Amino acid sequence: MQLSRADLLKAYRTMKMIREFEERLHIEFAAGEVPGFVHLYAGEEAVATGVCMHLDDRDKITSTHRGHGHCLAKGCDVDGMMAEIFGKTNGLCAGKGGSMHIADLSKGMLGANGIVGGGPPLACGAALAAKKLGTGGVAVSFVGDGGANQGTTLESLNLAAIWSLPCIFVIENNGYAESTSCKYAGACHDFADRASGFNMPGVTVDGHDFFAVHEVTGEAVRRARMGNGPTLIECKVNRYYGHFEGDAQTYRARDEVKTIRETRDCIANFEKKATSSGMLAASELQETSREVLAQIDDAVAKAKAAARPGAADLLTHVYVSY
Amino acid sequence: MAQHQAPVGIVANPASGRDVRRLVARASAFPVSEKCHMITRLLAALAATGVTRVLAMPDRGGITERLRRAIATQGPHDGWPQVEFVEMPIEDGPADTLRAVELMVAAGVAAIVVLGGDGTHRLAASACGETPIMALSTGTNNVFPEIREATIAGIATGLVATGRVDATRASRRNKVLRVEVDGQQTDLAVVDAAISNHRWIGSKALWHPELLSQLFVTFAESDALGLSSIAGLLCPVSRRAAHGLRIDLLPPERAAVTLKAPIAPGLMASVGIAGVCEIRPSEPQSIHSGSGVIALDGEREIEFRPQQRVAIRLGLDGPLTIDTEEVMTQAARDGLLVSRHA
Repeated sequence: MQLSRADLLKAYRTMKMIREFEERLHIEFAAGEVPGFVHLYAGEEAVATGVCMHLDDRDKITSTHRGHGHCLAKGCDVDGMMAEIFGKTNGLCAGKGGSMHIADLSKGMLGANGIVGGGPPLACGAALAAKKLGTGGVAVSFVGDGGANQGTTLESLNLAAIWSLPCIFVIENNGYAESTSCKYAGACHDFADRASGFNMPGVTVDGHDFFAVHEVTGEAVRRARMGNGPTLIECKVNRYYGHFEGDAQTYRARDEVKTIRETRDCIANFEKKATSSGMLAASELQETSREVLAQIDDAVAKAKAAARPGAADLLTHVYVSY
Repeated sequence: MAQHQAPVGIVANPASGRDVRRLVARASAFPVSEKCHMITRLLAALAATGVTRVLAMPDRGGITERLRRAIATQGPHDGWPQVEFVEMPIEDGPADTLRAVELMVAAGVAAIVVLGGDGTHRLAASACGETPIMALSTGTNNVFPEIREATIAGIATGLVATGRVDATRASRRNKVLRVEVDGQQTDLAVVDAAISNHRWIGSKALWHPELLSQLFVTFAESDALGLSSIAGLLCPVSRRAAHGLRIDLLPPERAAVTLKAPIAPGLMASVGIAGVCEIRPSEPQSIHSGSGVIALDGEREIEFRPQQRVAIRLGLDGPLTIDTEEVMTQAARDGLLVSRHA
C-alpha cells in the first residue's frame, strides 16, 4: 500500500499529538496536577499510529496501562482524554477511570487496563463478536513485554488460533516489564518466535519505524479481514520515560534514553523521510506541530477548569450498557 | 596436527528469519535458540579439527546470553575452543555485523562463519576483505549461504583455519554488485539488486513484484528461491561465470512475456518480463527510475530520489567463501580425520 500525502500528514499529526500529549502530562504530573498514576507512551508513537491507521469504526482495540497513545491513535477526543486523566467530569469516563482505565467504546477503544495481560482475552471476545456478526471488523490487542508473559496472553493466542479469529496481537516490547528486563524475564528472547507454537505468523518489526509498522500491520489486518486468522507482531521499541511517572529508572543505563532519542526517534526519522522524499514540506510539518501544541494547550486549560466528580456521582456509571 | 592457531570468527545475526515474510509468504521462523544450537555444533566440530580459539560477535538479541550459558555448562569432554566475544558497541542492527567482521579481520581470524540470510552475508561480504567466509543459512530467501548442517560446516572451516587443506582450492571467489549513488559507492549485493517503485524502505522485504522495474543478479540458479529465481528460470548464470544478468521488468498485465517465479517461500508470483541481457564487470548500469528503492539481496535498503544518479556495477572481486564439498573431499582423500593407532 503506497501512502498518500494525506496519509502522511495524518500519521504525522497523530504521532506528534501523542508525543506532545505525553510531554505535557510529564510536566503536569510533576506539578501535582494529575491524580493517580500515569504511564507515558512517548517514544512508542510509531506503533500505535502505524497500527491504528489501518483500523476503522468496525474495529476494536484493547490497551495496556500505557494506553494514551492507543487512545489517540484510535480517534479518542483529545479534550475528553485530557480531562479524564485530570479526573474531571468532562472526561471520557466522567473522570472516574483516569489514565489506567480510560476507554471510549464509541471509538472502539475498549479500555486501558490496570491488569497486566488483561487486554488479550477482551480482544478475543471482540474478534469473536466481529466474526459471528460478520461485521468485517478486527480486534487489535496491544500488549507489553510483561503482559506477553502472562497466561492470559498465551491462552488468548491459543484461542484466537483455534477459532481463527480476526485478531492481531501487537506486542510492544520496550525492553522492561516495569523494571524487569525482558532479557531476564523471557525464556524466549523474541516474542515473535512464540507465534509458530500457536500456529500463526509471527513477525518482528522495528517499532521506531512508522513505515515498517504500517506496512506489516496492513498485511496482518488484510489477513484478518479475509478470514485467515490471527497474527502476532512484535514491535521492538523504547519508552522515553519510566514505567510510571516518578520511576527513578535505576535499572537503565545512564545515557540509554538520550542515545535513543538522538538516534532512533520515530518522529524525527519520519520528518526526515517525509521531507526528503518530497512528499511533505518542512513548513507543513511545522504548521501541524503548531496546531497540535495549540490543541494540547487548549485541552489542558479545559481540563483544569472543569469540575471533579462529587459525592453525588459515586453510584453512577457503575455499569455500562452495550 | 597442524600448529596454525589463528582464531575463527563466528557472526550470527539474531534478527534473521523473523521478518514480514512469515506473514505475507509462508517462510519458516528461525528462532534464536536454534541459532545457538548451531553455534554449539560448530564449536564441537572446530574443536575436533584443532581450532583452539573463537572470536564471536556479541549481541543483545539472545545469542550471546545463550552461548555463554552453553559454554558454562558444556560437558567435561566437549573441549570446545575458547570463545571470546569481540569488544564493540552494540547497536542491535546491521552495523553490528559490519563492525564485528571488521574487528575479526583486524584480529587476524583465519575464517569467519556467518549465520544469517542473504542480507547478513551481504554485510559480511562488504567487510571481510580476503578472509574466507563459511556461509550458513539461517535467513529466509537464502541463495548465497548454504543450507548445511553446522557440524559439517565447522569441520570444513576448521580444516581451512588450521591450514590442513589446500586453501586456494578450498575457497571460491564470488561476484558482487556495487551500488553507486551520485558517483559514490554506497553498498553492495552478493546475489541480486532490484529497483522497486516502493517509496520507503519500510519492512524491507519485497513481495509485490509488480512494483519492480529492474533486477540485476551476480548469479542465478534455476532452483533458487527469491528474486534471483526470476533470472534463474529465464537464463541461468553460474557463480563462476564472468558475467551477471539484468532483467527489465513490467507489471504482468502490460507484458508480452510473463514468468511464474518463487520469489519467497511459498509465494509464486507472476512477473512481467521486458528484456534480459548480460552485464559485464565494470560496465555501470544506470538506473532510470525517477525515485524508488534499491533492494539488495531481497531487502529494501536505499531510498533514492529523482535528483540522484544511481548506477549498479558488477564486480568479480567479491568475498571468498569456503567450498565445503571440496574441503570434505580433500579431507576424505587425504585422511585428514583419520588416526591410526599401533
